[in-house]
This record gives sequence, C-alpha cells and structure tokens, in this order.
Amino acid sequence: MNAHLVRTAAEGRRHGPRARLRATARSEWVKLWSVRSAPAVLGATAVVIVLGALVLCSGYRSGWASMSASERAAFDPASTSLRGIEPAQLFVGALGVLAVTGEYGTGLIRTTLAATPQRAQVLVVKGLVLGAVVWAVTTASSFGAFALGQHLLTGPVPHAELEDPGVLRAVLGGGLYLTLIALFGTALGALSRSTPLGLAALFGVLLVLPLMVGLLPSGLADGILPYLPGEAGSQVWHVMPPSPHSLGPWQGFSLFALDVVVSAGAVLTLTRKRDV
Amino acid sequence: MPTDTSGTPVPAARARRPPVPRHAPVTPLSRGRAVLASEWIKLRSLRSLRATALSGFAFSVGLAFLVCSGFQARWHTLGAQAQAHFRPVDTGLGFLQITPLFFGALGALVVTTEYGTGQIRGTFVATPQRPLVLAAKALLVGLLGFGLALVTVSAAFLLGQSRLSGATPHASPADSGAAGAVLGGALYLTLTGLLGLFLGALARSTAVAISALLCLFTILPVLVNNLPKGFVWRHTVPYLPSNLGFSLWHSHVGFLLRPVSAGCVLALYVVVTAAAGMALLRTRDG
Repeated sequence: MNAHLVRTAAEGRRHGPRARLRATARSEWVKLWSVRSAPAVLGATAVVIVLGALVLCSGYRSGWASMSASERAAFDPASTSLRGIEPAQLFVGALGVLAVTGEYGTGLIRTTLAATPQRAQVLVVKGLVLGAVVWAVTTASSFGAFALGQHLLTGPVPHAELEDPGVLRAVLGGGLYLTLIALFGTALGALSRSTPLGLAALFGVLLVLPLMVGLLPSGLADGILPYLPGEAGSQVWHVMPPSPHSLGPWQGFSLFALDVVVSAGAVLTLTRKRDV
Repeated sequence: MPTDTSGTPVPAARARRPPVPRHAPVTPLSRGRAVLASEWIKLRSLRSLRATALSGFAFSVGLAFLVCSGFQARWHTLGAQAQAHFRPVDTGLGFLQITPLFFGALGALVVTTEYGTGQIRGTFVATPQRPLVLAAKALLVGLLGFGLALVTVSAAFLLGQSRLSGATPHASPADSGAAGAVLGGALYLTLTGLLGLFLGALARSTAVAISALLCLFTILPVLVNNLPKGFVWRHTVPYLPSNLGFSLWHSHVGFLLRPVSAGCVLALYVVVTAAAGMALLRTRDG
C-alpha cells in the first residue's frame, strides 16, 4: 500500500464534523483564490478606496475657498476620506455574487455538493471565507484612505484624528460595511444562481433604489430613504449623519445586517430544496 | 470517358460534379446588406434584449407615474421654496437619471451575449470584416434604440403630466422646452445604448460591461457632483457622461453645459469608444 492510500485511510478514521469543516474551509479558500478575477478585484477594491480619498480630499482642499459657511460646517473630514467605499462596494458586491454564480456557471457546484452534501455548510463556510478575506483587505484600505485623506487636508481645511469621537468607529466601519456588502452579494447570488440576475438584484437594491426614492417629493423620500439597506448600512462609516433623518451608526448597521441575515436565511432554506 | 469542351478526357469524378451555381459577385454593398440581415435576426431572437427593453419601458413609465402622483398628492405639504423651484418637465423626466442603465445594458448585451454563447466565432468566420459586424450592430442599436427611447420618454412624459393637475403646475407637449426635453432625453438614451454597445465590445463580458456602466452613470456622479466647485471641478465634472445627459433633458443648472454642446461631447464619447472597440476587435481573439 502506498503512502497516499495510508494517509487517506488515516484521515477516514478521524472523519468528524470538525474535520469536514476544516476540509470545506480549505476547499472554499482554494476556490476563492483560483478564480483569476478574485485577486484582481480585491486589488482594485483597495486601489479605489485609496484613490477616492486622493480625489475627494484634494478636491475639497482646492475648492475650500469657494464653499459657503453652511457647506463648511457640514464638512465631515473623516467620512469624506472614506467615500471611496461607494465605488468599492461595486467590486466587493460583484465578488460576492460571482463567488456563487461563477460556480453555477461552470458546473463546479455539482462537484462541490457531491463532495460535501451538507449544502448549508458549504454556503456558510463560503460566506465566512469570503467575508474574512474582504474584511481584511477593506479594513486595511480604510485605514490607508483615512491616513492619506487627512494628510491631504491641510491649511484652513479641518482634518480628523483617530482619537476624535466616532472616527475610529467610522474607519473600522468602512471594512465592516464592505464585508456585509460582499455577504449580501453572496446571498443574492445564491438566490438567483445567475450572474446577471444576481448583479442586477444587488445593484438594483444598493444603487438604483435610493436614486428612485430621491425623485419623490422630499417629505416622502425622507421617510423611506434612511431604511434602504445601503443607506442604513453606510451610517457606520459616517461621523456626522449625512441627513437629519439618518439612522444612528449602529442602528443603521444592524438594520443592514438584518437584511443580510434574512436573505441568507432565505438561501439556506431554499438550498436544501432546489436542484443543483 | 467524358471529355471537356476542348475534347481532352477528364476524370469521371470531376465530370459528375454538378455545375457550380453562379452567385452574384460579392460587392461591399451586398456584403453590408447580408451582415445587416444576420445582425437583425440575432437582435430579434435574443430574449434578454426584449426583456431589457420592456423592463426599461415599464420602469420609466412606472417611475414617472409614481413620482408625479407623489408630487400631486403632497403638493400642499411642500414648502413655498420647494413649490417655487418645482419644474413639471424636470420632475416628470426624472427617471432619465436611471433609465440610461437599461439602454446601456441593452447595447452591451447585443455584443456580450454573443461572446457568452460563443456565437461570435461563427459570426467572425462568416464575416471576417469584423468592424463591419460591429458597425451593423451599431446601426441597428442606434435606429431601434432611438425609436424605443422616443416611445419610452414620450409615454412617460405624457403619463406623468396627466397626473399633475389643479394647483400643481403641469406641462403640455406644446409648451416651450417640453418637446426639446423629450427629444433630448431620447437622444441621451440612444447615445448611452451605443456607448453600452461599444463598452460591451471592449469588455466582452456582461458582468464587466454592466459594472462599468453602473460606475459611470450612478456612482461617479454621486461621488463628485457635490464637491466644491473649484477650478478643477468646473473643467472635469460637467463633462461626465451622466452630467452631459442631464444637460440634454433638464433645464439649465449652474456650471453644466448647454444642451447642444453637451450632445456633441456625449457623441464624441461614443465615437472614441467606438474607435477603441474597432481597433481592438482587429487585434484580439474572437
């Protein structure tokens, strides 16, 4: 008997839930990094977050003189340097959707579920692995963007320090918000099982819905806008509330987290029943 | 043994071959017509195109209805300032901030679905004149897109204005600026359709093309429009595609361009993207 077979036999003996969990996590890790686009998308995310700080903070620096007193009072140096998150959510959201739909597209999902018939476990571990990677990259990028942005806000333009109230929460919140966006994308991808549908659903909810509501008369819009998933979730990376109707940072974030949990719950119930 | 016309014997196999049918020689014109016909068939038979066109129409008309109904119902709760600033045409056509996504996606899908299914290989084998294929697609998307855009914007405009009555100001198509705004909106949607088509040819993937369109039309404007209007802002932000389109259908706003120059710059975007798409089409794999 050769060494390979001896090892599989030995592994077979200690087949337990924990060994299976470790094996699933390892296979999801391999799948994430062997999709050619994943490192590129994560790299682009980091670049966009930092680039946002560069463009916006130098824009405010050069245009400060032309701003009115009320505009100056409403200026939030910390979250201005973090607004690269807005374009970056496109990238991590798409990554989340593609993490599932890519597997359906190539048919790899059949092998995955044949190897691990515990479907819910596969999806949960997929979410955890993706979430951990996205969290690490985006949190590091948030700190980078904050440091660069505050460095660019010089002279008369106010700037923020990490010790100021709410600032550390906002910078950490940037990573948390983008992690939830990626998980929301994963859930919507698993619900739709199709790349175009998943992307349309995610960006319809995150980007198009607030634009639609914004067209309504302001009294009506103010009542709806704060509760939309993207709007509620993004309060966590703002120091000053963007509008008087905004939810509090953790209130809004919890509401968004609830949206993600509900969609994940829908996935986990459906995934047991549906064909692959 | 059979002989040919000069009396020399020829092998039996060759002699039995049926005579080659005499086709009309391929002229550039006949090739163009054939390519156009085949593109028309492909366009007609794509289910996702019909779905996108229909949902774009339903979305625009529905949103115009919803927004105008909302203003009609809440007119008396609006402050004096909001009432003074209310422009029925601008509000009724507000959906034009989102509908370009549908038209851009429509244009992109015309190319990317062909790459997705692999049909593009058959297309390029049949017509090795690749730029001609893309030009035929662009002609059809431009013509059909303009028709669809005109119908969509006019229907949404009429339905929206019909909801506004009584104290709420409302516009009729005969009012000054109304017809121009509707036409400008239709032109904006047509140009985004073409921009989507050429972006699709550059990206060759539905996901990438649609993400690029979302970035260009929803994220970038939100990000930079509220920056202080310094020197750099005044020479960059008004030239974003979304702001050029805004100038085409909205009444004039502060630093933005006038409609005619905005239309020209937007057309220039399409031409540059088209040139990039055509150039890369020659050098890249099918």
